[in-house]
Amino acid sequence: MILENVISTRLRDIVLIWALPILFGIALAIGLAWLGTSHSTAVVPKAATGPVPGWAKVAVDLPTSGTLFPPGKGADIANAQCLICHSAGMVLRQPPLTQDEWAGEINKMRNSFGAPLPADQVEVLAKYLRGIQGSQSPRGPSVLDAQGS
Amino acid sequence: MAAELVELPFANGRRELVTNFPQKGAVLLQRTRPPLLETPFEVFDQGVFTSNDQFYVRWHLANIPSAVDPATFRLNIHGHVGRPISLTLDDLVREFKAFEIAAINQCSGNSRGFFSPRVPGGQWANGAMGNARWTGARLKDVLDRAGVKAGALQVRFNGLDAGVVPQTPDFMKSLAIDHARDGEVMIAYAMNGAPLPLLNGFPLRLVVPGWYATYWVKMLDDIEVLDKPDDNFWMTKAYLIPDTPFANIVPGQKGVKMVPINRMLPRSFFTNVQNGAVLKVGQTTTVRGIAFGGDMGLAKVLFSADSGGHWQEARLGPEQGKYGFRQWEVSLRLSSPGPHTLMIKAVNTAGIAQPDHANWNGAGFMRNVIESVSVRTT
Repeated sequence: MILENVISTRLRDIVLIWALPILFGIALAIGLAWLGTSHSTAVVPKAATGPVPGWAKVAVDLPTSGTLFPPGKGADIANAQCLICHSAGMVLRQPPLTQDEWAGEINKMRNSFGAPLPADQVEVLAKYLRGIQGSQSPRGPSVLDAQGS
Repeated sequence: MAAELVELPFANGRRELVTNFPQKGAVLLQRTRPPLLETPFEVFDQGVFTSNDQFYVRWHLANIPSAVDPATFRLNIHGHVGRPISLTLDDLVREFKAFEIAAINQCSGNSRGFFSPRVPGGQWANGAMGNARWTGARLKDVLDRAGVKAGALQVRFNGLDAGVVPQTPDFMKSLAIDHARDGEVMIAYAMNGAPLPLLNGFPLRLVVPGWYATYWVKMLDDIEVLDKPDDNFWMTKAYLIPDTPFANIVPGQKGVKMVPINRMLPRSFFTNVQNGAVLKVGQTTTVRGIAFGGDMGLAKVLFSADSGGHWQEARLGPEQGKYGFRQWEVSLRLSSPGPHTLMIKAVNTAGIAQPDHANWNGAGFMRNVIESVSVRTT
């Protein structure tokens, strides 16, 4: 079967990629054990029981965003609150929403995701967001649904 | 150096093409933190598999470990099982039969930016999807090792990511026990033959062929067998769709039953012709793209050169797994000058075809309308 051949070829490649360092590690460990101990006390090489050498530790730096919200009444709230959990770009790339729809989004962040934004700041922030990323007049039913995703 | 800018074809669609994310090449920046990175669409013209370094990225919660050490990493399986187990990556590779499957990972909200009226959320064009060969262990085999007890209902998956504030619900997803044990749902430790990029879930990711990516939990380290329905936020309050055909409702529609999002729908795309392309009258052009059946294979892909008036079957490339992309192509010769609307429509093996009119819901999920491109002949 062609598919099985593809799979077995792929697996062989993966096994080869990871098996060669294992074999090398085992050989190295045996060599070190030979040098460091007498024959009778040689132990099972660590490489045989430790992680597969192909599983190198992965450490990365995730980029940060320096973008702040544009100036305006309420920008200080946006910078202090929204940026706790996500960068500003998420807001700045949204389609225009009405003030009520923005208030709905803000309350979703408060009620579903635990944003520590005080209730008395919702209106100011919604007005601000309507101003920078807003629809000036209602243009039909709200597009928000009530779920929290 | 200023990043290249790309205009996605909807209002406020300007995006930077960035290269500063680890283990990633050029991707469209939707959000820096937590990362939302879109695959540039031209990548899909290169073949049916999406390279790891341009595979899209979507995280919900910003507390993402920036390092994972395989020496200390453990995958724990517990809950309604006979014996809880804790597996190293070695255990998973060596003690379970390796399983491989080609499958598309597509964000529930792929193409949200095209919704009309627009809805809030990640404003993706069509690049929040990718197809890869996933290698790993079958979830069934791993669950069998722990011994699922009678009365198990669901299996819940959790990864290493967490919210920034403790009140944010931890991201967890669940599958029905029979689905979890179907022999296709798997725990992947390799993607296109290499370890997963950290942003795609290193070291382990759940693979749920045919289902939307919300279930494909990244940095998977915890599997809990449940004997009652999962009531966690991400299953009961988020990722819900109207229980209607194609999850379609009209804005403002009330009283709709909502259910967790689940199986994918068929889709097809043009990859070598874009809106505004100019073709020569009487000259034959190869028009091609990719298509998929959703939670099953493709039956056929239909092409129209006259806005859907007439349809012809496109030639299909080899199927490399029924859950993966498949290439299609047609030889197109337009004999009259002027504007033409080309359309492409996938039909899956259950006979489900992409709809003529765009489906809509307030979460911006599951868009799968027939795709069109407007070209001109001279």
